[in-house]
Amino acid sequence: MPYADPEPDDPQELVGVEWPGDESVTREMAESFADEFAQLGLPRAEILALYRQPEYSGAHRAWRLLGDDEIARIVDESLAVFGRFTWVVTDSADDEPEPQPLRLYRRGS
Amino acid sequence: MSTVKNWQLGREMAYPYDARYPERQFAFVFNINRCIACQSCTMACKSTWTFNKGQEHMWWANVETKPYGGYPQWWDVRILEKLEEANPGGQVWGGTPADARFGPYGTFEGQTVFEAAARTLSPDSARVLGYLPTDEEWNSPNIYEDNPIGKRGVRNAIDQTGEQLPVHNTWFFYLARICNHCSYPACLAACPRQAIYKRPEDGIVLIDQAECRGYRKCVEACPYKKTMYRGNTRTSEKCIACYPRVEGTDPETGGEPMETRCMAACIGQIRMQGLVQMAEDGTWAEDRYNPLYYLVHVAKVALPLYPQFGTQPNGYYIPPRWVARPYLRQMFGPGVDRAIENYISPSRELLAVLQLFRRSNRIIFRYQIEEGPKIYEGSLHGRKVELYNDTVIAFGKNGRELFRTTVEEPVYVRPNVHANSI
Repeated sequence: MPYADPEPDDPQELVGVEWPGDESVTREMAESFADEFAQLGLPRAEILALYRQPEYSGAHRAWRLLGDDEIARIVDESLAVFGRFTWVVTDSADDEPEPQPLRLYRRGS
Repeated sequence: MSTVKNWQLGREMAYPYDARYPERQFAFVFNINRCIACQSCTMACKSTWTFNKGQEHMWWANVETKPYGGYPQWWDVRILEKLEEANPGGQVWGGTPADARFGPYGTFEGQTVFEAAARTLSPDSARVLGYLPTDEEWNSPNIYEDNPIGKRGVRNAIDQTGEQLPVHNTWFFYLARICNHCSYPACLAACPRQAIYKRPEDGIVLIDQAECRGYRKCVEACPYKKTMYRGNTRTSEKCIACYPRVEGTDPETGGEPMETRCMAACIGQIRMQGLVQMAEDGTWAEDRYNPLYYLVHVAKVALPLYPQFGTQPNGYYIPPRWVARPYLRQMFGPGVDRAIENYISPSRELLAVLQLFRRSNRIIFRYQIEEGPKIYEGSLHGRKVELYNDTVIAFGKNGRELFRTTVEEPVYVRPNVHANSI
């Protein structure tokens, strides 16, 4: 990693490359995460925590750019659709197989 | 060189061996819209397969931050650059995305890693255009891609005041990657000892450790850089698709095909893996109610990663909807616009199939939908949304039901001890 000073003549050096992006891109990303995790069944507090924790850089950057109120509004909008229902998964009765004993073989036997 | 059919490119292409297709093919779909780079998949793989001495730098499964990051660093930038040098201005797609199983993204008019090698490399034994990453490039999978670097001279530590850096108004997303178990593997094509083989039963690509002599031709050739050299055994190694689980011989599987460790560990539920039926011409045989077939060929929301490399990779991605389209078109081909449009305005069936992700660790071979009543109609982010209480039933290899998923309005029962509280 770049512990040394930048080398302008190094073609692999990332120096000030601009990528297209604006607030609408950030908003779209924030909405995407909200929709996806609302569909997964996460409650409001857990989805908001995803944005507030700096470890999740994508969501957190949106939180920093848009603010807590706007992120809460986006999450509430997603939950207004997907949060009103619960997806229920029912395993088939014999889904879990009988546990198999682990067979160990002695080398050379 | 032989001539083989590449359905992703919509044309025939040169490949060092004749076409041979497995009965079924290991394949997977990752929904990038959900990935938050928790690295659970990465660690599940690491703790299962690459925790030994000599494997420290190996991450068969990894998640990288795009567009900046990569493991090894700049892997895709470098191979794209090499292809551009070999065929300046010619790496373009023609035609338009269509509904056909052969050439659904149009026709790639540029050169694959095999075709570019035939024109630019010598001697003839150099069969694939590639490069060998440096040791440094393998060193830092996803480290410092999202975070400011540590202080000068202090390794393996993040700068404690780094969060004071300005927030740049740009975009990025997380790309989870494993070996694509390609239909035309570049690693297999490049191996001078024919130590790499593709299994006829499930299309998993493996390196025979007894035959490998560590020439690293596979490491150089794989455009996705998913074969890795191990110094202490002097052999190359790669993702084995957790084949004991896939074939049902792992004791945990109970004899039924089970998804890989990285799939099972995914807490974001972005992953689904399966075994798709292959047709004699190398396309996917029509299997309308296989969830992977549906996502790739019917809903067309899942796209191959860098199909222009020509290896016909079997990993498919639902592209992130917020990312700049030119970048996504380069990464996933011309099908991107249609895929995102279909994903953000999902059909009733697509919404149902998306519910199958990570509901079981068993491989789903078929699904069935029992239609229920409409339970919601409204708008979300300015788009119309309709939800139905459909029951989606997943079936395993032998036609046995694995699980069913449905929608319920939650009922809250007030506890007796707090009868008057909310």
